[in-house]
Amino acid sequence: MTASGDLACLKTANLSVRLGRALVVDGVTLELRAGELTALIGPNGAGKTTLVRALAGLLRSTGQILLAGKAIGELSARERARQLAYLPQGHVFHWPMSVAAVVALGRHPHADAFSPLTEADRAAVERALAATATDKFADRAVTELSGGERARVALARALAGEAPILLADEPTASLDPRHQLVVMGLLAEAAHRGGTVLAIVHDLTLAARFAGRIIVMERGRVVADGAPRDVLTIKLIAQVFGVEASISDSDVGAIPILRRPL
Amino acid sequence: MSRVALERSTHGLILGLVGLLVVLAFISLMVGPAGLSPLAALTGLVDGDGAAGLIVRSIRLPRTLLALLIGATLGLAGAALQGLLRNPLAEPALFGAPQAASAGAAFVIAFGYAGATSFAVPVAGILGALVSIGGLVMIAGRRASLTVTLLAGLALASFAGAATALILNLAPSPYAALEIAFWLLGSLEDRSNDHVLMALPFFVASWLLLGINVPAFRALTLGEDAAASLGVDIDRTRLMVVVGVALGVGAAVAVAGSIGFIGLMAPHLVRRRVGSDPARVCLPASLLGAVLLIAADIGVRLIPSNPNATAIELKIGVVTALIGVPFFLVMIFAERRALEGASS
Repeated sequence: MTASGDLACLKTANLSVRLGRALVVDGVTLELRAGELTALIGPNGAGKTTLVRALAGLLRSTGQILLAGKAIGELSARERARQLAYLPQGHVFHWPMSVAAVVALGRHPHADAFSPLTEADRAAVERALAATATDKFADRAVTELSGGERARVALARALAGEAPILLADEPTASLDPRHQLVVMGLLAEAAHRGGTVLAIVHDLTLAARFAGRIIVMERGRVVADGAPRDVLTIKLIAQVFGVEASISDSDVGAIPILRRPL
Repeated sequence: MSRVALERSTHGLILGLVGLLVVLAFISLMVGPAGLSPLAALTGLVDGDGAAGLIVRSIRLPRTLLALLIGATLGLAGAALQGLLRNPLAEPALFGAPQAASAGAAFVIAFGYAGATSFAVPVAGILGALVSIGGLVMIAGRRASLTVTLLAGLALASFAGAATALILNLAPSPYAALEIAFWLLGSLEDRSNDHVLMALPFFVASWLLLGINVPAFRALTLGEDAAASLGVDIDRTRLMVVVGVALGVGAAVAVAGSIGFIGLMAPHLVRRRVGSDPARVCLPASLLGAVLLIAADIGVRLIPSNPNATAIELKIGVVTALIGVPFFLVMIFAERRALEGASS
């Protein structure tokens, strides 16, 4: 494995998370690799968000999380933030700041917070704005934008840090069909540039189309992990999601078609 | 507005506010029962000789300095709390610090441990604020959500209010009760340079604690999880802001009684000019807080209140509340849609 590939590697061993008394993530062992867009799927309450928050270092967990070969607990918050970007659910912006200012927040782990942005910071912000086509409205207040535009701004913020690893929690939730494709395309692009990208996705069609690998969670455990064609079987969809499905082969992959709840 | 235009506008506002502050501070040295000409005020300030020197240096200078320091502290405390809570309606009173400081100081005055101008009052006020904040941190814990923190602050504020009422109730003499009641209204009258020196260290500590968290406020616009993922230590930020606000507000209440709504008005007015970036708001909000309080303090000296008792002026806390509460209601009215829609 190359040095940069190593840097973009996220491994867990027997990772468990308790929220209160409930064991929400139960002994998850997985390895995310550079250059791969991985979709994390599973029914509501399977522990997907909790797993991703734990991977991002935001929750106390037991077991091991290795970020570029180092235990995540040994990194400072700033070092961790340079390695790993996290895009939470909902694309929240509390203040009506400009798009450019919000995207520049992605540079927080790199910049001295009290100094203006450096040339390198500005260049990274420009790249993130351009990649997400948000540069056209960079001066507008982020709270005035449509849901699809906000999702792209949120993604631009996460990309601006240029961390090798990106974890996105339901980046396509509540987006129109076009923006779902746009956002998944941007995540796939980030992976093709050598990034390690993990996205929680509810839409199995999107997962099958864009992800190179699908991890399925159920009741805190990983129950399947592999290429979409191998993972998204009629049997698994019935067992995990309780849905009768058929699989349709098309030029964009083996796409599950959901028939009815079982 | 573009970034460059916004930066220019922010710098312009800061310069304008500093200029206004200097002018108002000087006017504040001239105005009072004995009016002084600008020249007399200036020579009094520089030389300190004669009646003018005495009036300026030992009566009006401390009063002006306190208005400046308290106004700046309250403006910054409001902006910081709003940054932490991501809510333009946040007020330092939400954490119960001013109420607890009032209760502490009222206790000392009521039971005759000290007169209203003695050092024991500020000390008790600051202790009250620290006890309330200590209680808040103990109840809410370091990992508590802001909802829990705010509810704990509300409970502590109510408890401190009840304690103040109890003290008034049990006050040994009607004079003591009257003294407390007046003191609670908030005033900068008859404060000495000792008051300034007493409160100053707490104000400076407050500014430092709040100031170093300014970049965190900006990151918090993305919510706590995203800010934490960017390397912001949310627990530490919350703790430092809570303690910083307690120190500043506690010391302010202790030397001047209860003065509200500066922390609400100053950041809100500033936002119209510099935009909503919480980091950009802090410095101008603190300057505008100082401007507002000095202006209000000049106002209470100029507005004739009771022609039969020339020594009594309007209480500055009354004035800021009379202006601040309608302002607050208008803000709630304007923000209610956003408040109803807010889930977190």
